[in-house]
Amino acid sequence: MMETILFWTLAGMAVLSALAVIAFRNPVNSVMALFVTLLVTAGIYLQMGAYGIALFQVIVYIGAVLVLFLFVVMILDLKTPGGWSVFSSRTLAMGTAGFLLAGGGAWFAWRAPGFPWTEAPAGAPGPGPAIREIALDLFTRHLLVFELTSVLLLAAAVGAVLIGRKERNRP
Amino acid sequence: MNLESVIFTGIVLFIIGAAGFFLRGNAVVLLLCIEIMLNAVNLVLAGFARYLYGTEGQVFVLMIMTVAAAEAAVGLAIVVALRRLLGTTDMNRIHFLKG
Repeated sequence: MMETILFWTLAGMAVLSALAVIAFRNPVNSVMALFVTLLVTAGIYLQMGAYGIALFQVIVYIGAVLVLFLFVVMILDLKTPGGWSVFSSRTLAMGTAGFLLAGGGAWFAWRAPGFPWTEAPAGAPGPGPAIREIALDLFTRHLLVFELTSVLLLAAAVGAVLIGRKERNRP
Repeated sequence: MNLESVIFTGIVLFIIGAAGFFLRGNAVVLLLCIEIMLNAVNLVLAGFARYLYGTEGQVFVLMIMTVAAAEAAVGLAIVVALRRLLGTTDMNRIHFLKG
């Protein structure tokens, strides 16, 4: 019971902060709202027993990617006139109505008899895979993908430098 | 808390990210919406890894995180180049491909 309450609290915070990301007019506020989303998602990972994923979420996403976003927003110095939100009250009302309609349809489809939904394994789940098993799996069966990832990162780094540099002798 | 609620949360987050991608015009916010969508997919994959007793889900999450970091680096470089060349990051005012 406690676990359920905690999960839905975290999930609600994730959804609300994700809505805040697309509603804020100032990009700095959007980045900060995404910070909350990613941190709360790391909390859900912790609750699911995926400790390694939560660790990498905090280090890679929040520590590297979001700081990069903040730097770029700072460099670009985006001017944001107007109010705090990009949506008018009419747009918000229409979005809420559309969300309720789609959610109601999904709910009825979910509850309908004969909906092709495979049963989840019964009973409380045991402890998830430990980080040792994940590492063994990653470095044996998925070793080729792991090595290809390094090529991808190298290509992305070179490409980012090439795109972002200042061209001196443009015709 | 079961598999259905994790999938439901992932679907809602993905819908929010996709809606934001089509509603917003600022290029930086578009990249943030892509991050929301990738994060929703990560959540669903980790949920499957938890409830179906496999390690593949978490391995895929690691790969998606790597791809997301690479995508953010290249995307932000493109945004900086756009700002320098055109003086704007508003995608509604960039009409390169308009015939």
